[in-house]
Amino acid sequence: MTFDITGAKVFYRIHTGIPFLGDFPVTETLIVSWIVMAIITALCIFLTRDLKVENITKRQAVAELLVETANNFVRNNTGGHKFDRLIPFVAALFATSVVSNLISLTGLRSPTADLSVEAGWAVVVFILITKEKIKASGIGGYLKGFTTPIFIMTPFNILSELATPVSMACRHFGNILSGVVIDGLIYWGLGLASSAILGLIPGAVGNFLKHIPILEVGLPAITGVYFDWFSGCIQAFIFCMLTIMFISNASEG
Amino acid sequence: METQQLVTLVPWTFIATILNLFIQIYLIKRFLFKPVNEMLEKRKNLADQEIRDARNARSEADSMKEEYESNMANARAQAAQIVQDAQKEAQARADELVREAQQQVSGIKARAESDIAQEKKKAINEAKDEIGGLAMDIAGKVVGKEIHEEDHRRLIDEFIKNVGDAS
Repeated sequence: MTFDITGAKVFYRIHTGIPFLGDFPVTETLIVSWIVMAIITALCIFLTRDLKVENITKRQAVAELLVETANNFVRNNTGGHKFDRLIPFVAALFATSVVSNLISLTGLRSPTADLSVEAGWAVVVFILITKEKIKASGIGGYLKGFTTPIFIMTPFNILSELATPVSMACRHFGNILSGVVIDGLIYWGLGLASSAILGLIPGAVGNFLKHIPILEVGLPAITGVYFDWFSGCIQAFIFCMLTIMFISNASEG
Repeated sequence: METQQLVTLVPWTFIATILNLFIQIYLIKRFLFKPVNEMLEKRKNLADQEIRDARNARSEADSMKEEYESNMANARAQAAQIVQDAQKEAQARADELVREAQQQVSGIKARAESDIAQEKKKAINEAKDEIGGLAMDIAGKVVGKEIHEEDHRRLIDEFIKNVGDAS
């Protein structure tokens, strides 16, 4: 019994014939992403059904709480109403991230355990940061910013600029992947252990029982609190926090 | 089944994720933020409306109170004025009555005095006549002869006059 861990499954390849991009792979990542989107959208529709001004239901209270939290999160971290148009963006990012991270609890593979997903988000954030920087100091000022404090620093400045999205993507991906790996290792180890222990029972009973990994029940639920729940929530929060902080800082020039 | 590498960048997944993110932004905006924000806006307007109404009602009440108070003050002033006027009038009436009474009294007194004077004069005249007669009788008896009244009338009158003046 060996342990190995692989990337997302590729269910089907759609032949496109486009050079460089190649065939379109319908991967586990994509399928689960769609499930995540469906869950979030269904939740939104469910929460905002027949909203009332007075005498609100618990459901509406939750919807209001979510919206107020998102509003306050963005407004407190940017100081004012300047970035109100980014609230749905940050909310979507957070919701997608957190639901993607937690969906691994159902046995599906988290879309966030695929670097392409985080890379996509990080690039969008990077474009927003750059846009804000250019808006704040003009295209000339933006380019000139790379040569400070002295001209020789230019390559390092460019590198540090590029490091932002790379580090954001890799931080999120690494944390989720580590959760996947550790969960896999724990299941693998417990499976081996239960097979070894139950194999001690002599005869046909032991032969049958050693195929039932009984020890896999229990311990993973406890380790999952940290590796799935905590890590999943905190990474989503950190990603959104960094997004809004970087954009807010960029706009200050 | 075919699997991809554990750490890899798949361009198509990358593109699809970005598109998915934008679709998710639209969906979350359309189904969560738009309705909830609209509702919150409505609630805010309602609260503002109520505060405005309350403020209007209070200012109305204040103006009514002010009006009431000024009315009360006016009424009080009018009442005082009426009382004052009444007092003044009563005083004037009393004064007039006293004056009239005094006038009447002084009229009565004057008439009485003139009556008294007339009576006195009459009495004196009568007394004069009486005294004249008496004097004539006495003189006649003293002289022994009859004195012609017509002859000596002048002398007697003069005498009485002198007596009257002397008395």
